[in-house]
Amino acid sequence: MTQRISRRDFLKIAAAGTAAGLSPEVRRIALEPFVRPPEQVLPGQDTWYASTCRQCPAGCGIIVRVINGRARKIEGNPLHPLNHGKLCARGQAGLQLLYNPDRLKNAVRQAGGRGSRQFDPLPWAEALDLLAEKISTLSNPSRLAFWGGLMPDHLYLLTSRWLDAIGAPPPLLFDLHSALEGRSAASRASQLFFDTPELPLYDLARAEVTFSFGANFLETWMSPVSQNHAYGMMRQGQFGGRGFMVQFEPRLSATAASADEWVPLRPGAEGFVALALGRIIVEERLGHVGSHRPHAVLYQDVDVREMAAASEVPVESLSRLARVFADADQAVAIPGGALAGQRNGLASMLAVQALNLLVAQIGRLGGVFLSQPAPSPAMKETAHGDSFERALELIDRMKAGEVDLLLIHGANPRFELPAAAGFAQAAARVPFVVSFSPFVDETAVAADLILPDHSYLESWGYQIPAPSADRPTVSSQQPVVQPLYDTRSTAEVLLALGARFGGKAAEALPWPDEFAFLQESASALQGSSLGAYDAETQAGFWALWRQHGGWWTEKELPREPEVTGIVGQPLPIVAPSFEGEAETYPFHLYPYPSLGLSDGRGANLPWLQEMPDPMTTARWATWVELNPVTAESLGLRDDDVVRVVSPFGELEAPVVVYPGIRPDVVAIPVGQGHTDYGRFAERRGRNPLELVAPVTDPDSGALAWGATRVRLEPTGKKVELARLESLDGAGRESTGGS
Amino acid sequence: MSRSRWLLLIPLLVVAGLAAGVLLTRARALAAPKQPLPFNHRTHVGAGVQCLFCHASAMRSPVAGIPSLQMCMGCHRVMAAEEPAIQELSGYWERGEPVPWLRVDKQPDFVYFSHQPHLGAGINCESCHGAVGEMEVVHPVLRMDMGWCLECHLEQAQENVARLTDCLACHK
Repeated sequence: MTQRISRRDFLKIAAAGTAAGLSPEVRRIALEPFVRPPEQVLPGQDTWYASTCRQCPAGCGIIVRVINGRARKIEGNPLHPLNHGKLCARGQAGLQLLYNPDRLKNAVRQAGGRGSRQFDPLPWAEALDLLAEKISTLSNPSRLAFWGGLMPDHLYLLTSRWLDAIGAPPPLLFDLHSALEGRSAASRASQLFFDTPELPLYDLARAEVTFSFGANFLETWMSPVSQNHAYGMMRQGQFGGRGFMVQFEPRLSATAASADEWVPLRPGAEGFVALALGRIIVEERLGHVGSHRPHAVLYQDVDVREMAAASEVPVESLSRLARVFADADQAVAIPGGALAGQRNGLASMLAVQALNLLVAQIGRLGGVFLSQPAPSPAMKETAHGDSFERALELIDRMKAGEVDLLLIHGANPRFELPAAAGFAQAAARVPFVVSFSPFVDETAVAADLILPDHSYLESWGYQIPAPSADRPTVSSQQPVVQPLYDTRSTAEVLLALGARFGGKAAEALPWPDEFAFLQESASALQGSSLGAYDAETQAGFWALWRQHGGWWTEKELPREPEVTGIVGQPLPIVAPSFEGEAETYPFHLYPYPSLGLSDGRGANLPWLQEMPDPMTTARWATWVELNPVTAESLGLRDDDVVRVVSPFGELEAPVVVYPGIRPDVVAIPVGQGHTDYGRFAERRGRNPLELVAPVTDPDSGALAWGATRVRLEPTGKKVELARLESLDGAGRESTGGS
Repeated sequence: MSRSRWLLLIPLLVVAGLAAGVLLTRARALAAPKQPLPFNHRTHVGAGVQCLFCHASAMRSPVAGIPSLQMCMGCHRVMAAEEPAIQELSGYWERGEPVPWLRVDKQPDFVYFSHQPHLGAGINCESCHGAVGEMEVVHPVLRMDMGWCLECHLEQAQENVARLTDCLACHK
């Protein structure tokens, strides 16, 4: 500032400013009335609409405050049996999805070819013509592939019926969030143990002792709001005494921080600990459920000392924990997502589930139940996630040139899959790719046509929560505002295609629009004697359906599982195996879902970026968590940039020295590292999936996201992370900081 | 010598400027804002349109509401459709744009005011907004400050005065 302002100029500016500031004109406020007022809107009065959250697959009920046609606030639906009026941060941030400045405002075609980012608007009629033409010119309908992710159940039903009618293979459902929580593996384990694909339901609220094996159930695993509610009940001793909780996992998650005890075991050794606990209970005849003779066969091959050595949990600790578990009136063991992410995942999950059997907690209060399926046959086709193996199969078909048209909804495989799985290269071989994403994400950038779906606050739908609430439940979804832009519901697109093709496709989808389909689906529940409400007319029932935000039974209805013949044979003992030699790659990579960003789908919402990670308080970035001992041995301190190298890739990120992690484990949160996906997500942090080996657990086919080894190379650079707490040692224990 | 005199003048000038500004503001606070369209209340009220026909939510909501463009066009598609001002109004309708009317009477953010109980107590629109039906362009008639509110609240039935003069009645 070399230019000086003279006194005269200053006085002039001050006088003009004062006069302007005092003038009533600048304080005039424009009142913009509606051009066409929405129905039920009273100016200045709020209206609350009940709907369903779609920020994760849990299916919590929400109520949205709408004033003058604008959604202002999202809260939990107090009537809903799953979340009891509570809502998590991701649910609250749904408003930023609706009002996100990077949303696509109409259908677009990439004029300059894939990756050109030249998006030419396309009228919907032309876009549908183009899609219909691509479908009708397929040499064989089996050359069409549909890749789905977080898909509401009504859309899954329409999609699978439509694909079936035109002779195309069923949709593949794979997204990283589900892989990180081990959804497909849990379903597979349930099939083996209980002979049903429905997920088990753990009665946390009434459990006296909870052993959680890598289930971060207070953060992102399965149905976190419902589980937080149950956790609160467990801690407040509403069912007699304050519950006791032990968390077994290599890294202290926020859930482990809420536990009474954290057992940092070796990655992949969760099953060993469960087997050892079982063996001790059987051998020493612990507990009060009578003879363990029928279950002795399960553990006949288990050697407690071997298991203790392999998991690095001392025999004394195992012995003590076995007593805690067996002596409790109501104990429950939960196999979580971190187990499923290992190459011995399924074996570990079975070992953990067997503990519940051992203490006779299957189908008992404070134990294990089964999720309720859809309460009506009209809704019985629900989305169950597919395994990573199935995803790899499709990628192979794409690589072999067997797919001519790829449709993608609700998933972002180019970002979410391990880079080494080769989705990007495979998709490049598909002649025409269509994305239904409301945002230009990494996958949509490599698509030819984008037909943006509405945001969930503008959409119709329903969802059968899985895992369910304590009773049969359907969460219904309704638009709380009129669509802001010229987007179109994917269900409507499918119905339009069905009508256009006629024949079988039209027969499979006979509804004129999504609304008529949902009205028909809902009325299948009318007249049920179990429902929390009923009406005499279809219109009356439909009104109550929307007002309640779904349908559920009046009373709790537990579903008791039946154990299959698995009980008759010894439990499998499978050692974990890892990609990368231990000499070259001495550390285990432990990617974990970010509490706010999940698998990266929340990265475009600034509220979630701003939200500090509960354990490190870092935000807006990717970081590498190292044990103080490890950090010191490498000469690394907080904020030093380290290069993490795996056999499949490498990345650089600043270090967070974190005492809550094993010295042989390197943890990196998932969610950042977007190259596309809007202004808030792009060019921020790195994506740890670039390091992950594209390997599976051969028994379940699940992605073994925790089975990669890495090495660390200091770079000498430093980047200051944005953190809520300072590193002076006063706020947080920070042995590596200065 | 001359410099110190000048320096002495500066605060005086500032004070004079402020005083002039305040006086001007007070004078102009009751002036009519320049609306985007020459809407004439006198014509409408003269034609027998009731206040609540257009400001329909005053009986049921905190705000009286500005009528939607759809409501305007309900009559003006036919009535006086050839007038230039109505042509301009139709332009907004065809473009799907709301008319950016300017607010005439306003309470500050720290005041909670609701039309509903006032109308419910039988107060006429004119008691606060003046004879809008006789105005071509609406301008504020009363300075709606706290003293003015209290004047009326203190005159209410004895059993209600405590409640109506409670700070939290309006500042909640």
